Amino acid sequence: MSRGAASLLILLLAVGPAPGTAQETPGATPSAQQTEAPDDTTGRSALTDPREAELDAQAAEVASGLRCPVCRNQSIVESNAELSREMHRLVRDKLAAGETPEQVREYFVSRYGEWILLKPQARGVNLLVYGLPLAVLILGFFLARNRLRKWAGAGGAAEAAGVVELGPDDEEWLREALREG
Amino acid sequence: MKKKHLRWLLPLAALPVLWLLYWGMGRDTYVLPSPMAGQVAPEFQLVDFQGDTLRLADMQDKVVILNFWASWCVPCRSEHPVLVRTERTWDSTEVVLLGVVYQDSKANAERFLAEFGGEWTHVLDPTQRTAIDYGVYGVPETFFIGRDGRISHKKVGPVTWELVRHQVDSLLAAPGAPATAASAGGAP
Repeated sequence: MSRGAASLLILLLAVGPAPGTAQETPGATPSAQQTEAPDDTTGRSALTDPREAELDAQAAEVASGLRCPVCRNQSIVESNAELSREMHRLVRDKLAAGETPEQVREYFVSRYGEWILLKPQARGVNLLVYGLPLAVLILGFFLARNRLRKWAGAGGAAEAAGVVELGPDDEEWLREALREG
Repeated sequence: MKKKHLRWLLPLAALPVLWLLYWGMGRDTYVLPSPMAGQVAPEFQLVDFQGDTLRLADMQDKVVILNFWASWCVPCRSEHPVLVRTERTWDSTEVVLLGVVYQDSKANAERFLAEFGGEWTHVLDPTQRTAIDYGVYGVPETFFIGRDGRISHKKVGPVTWELVRHQVDSLLAAPGAPATAASAGGAP
């Protein structure tokens, strides 16, 4: 067990850094870049400037609802994939440029599809996801209540009469059992 | 009477579940449906290996094959001969093949190209903003862009020669009515 865990750890360490992460700065002339990416998503002057801190918090909130396209089951905040970190920066840049959180989410949906949202939007077919469990729960409650009432009612009546009615199946089973015995 | 109804209700309720299982096992979960096909291709401004800036707008009236790749990506190696063949088949005044180097350095990309060949242009996307703009989540990913500036097809994973030929032929046959790139709403 522990050996299995250890070998898994070794495997993870070996595979760990995603390909390409070693080459942090591919050679390119910075002048032609569309945007200057900040060194860190959460660093910078967030400690001193309350507006920066608010922006960071807002970016983290939006980003935590976006799925990492590489690791699939993590948000881009939790993920350490290079693409996720860049997406996080992009979210922050867009918010800093004055876009609303809803606009930022819409941008990512327009590029990656609704799949990018960790929480499906409550509209259209998606409403099934939200409504169906509740509907089934309510249906189950009434079904169970009716069943229980019926059972209780049937059992009580038989007890009161002191006899138990035999069905045709029971009768046949009884006959067979007597014949064998 | 009520019980009889319930008797066939149960297997009937199981049908959608069985169908879901069948559908779930039959599909390739790695490939995600992309909303990009049919959209106006997002504009980009990227620098090639020589330091020249390239824009998608400069390639109007041409069929553009945009190929996101990296030297560390194994499927890109198997795909490369198809791209070499693509470059040789069509004139670059009609069909532009453009490589976008994804999460990789210029040096690594050049080493790869020296080994595997190909004369087409490659640009670098160090901030990955263009990749995000195109909804790229891995490499290789290839976008076929018509003369009207619209993405006709997105291929996740290595392209085949059959796919390239089919896409390019149909794009060359289509009349090129340039769409306004402004409606793409891409990042500036």
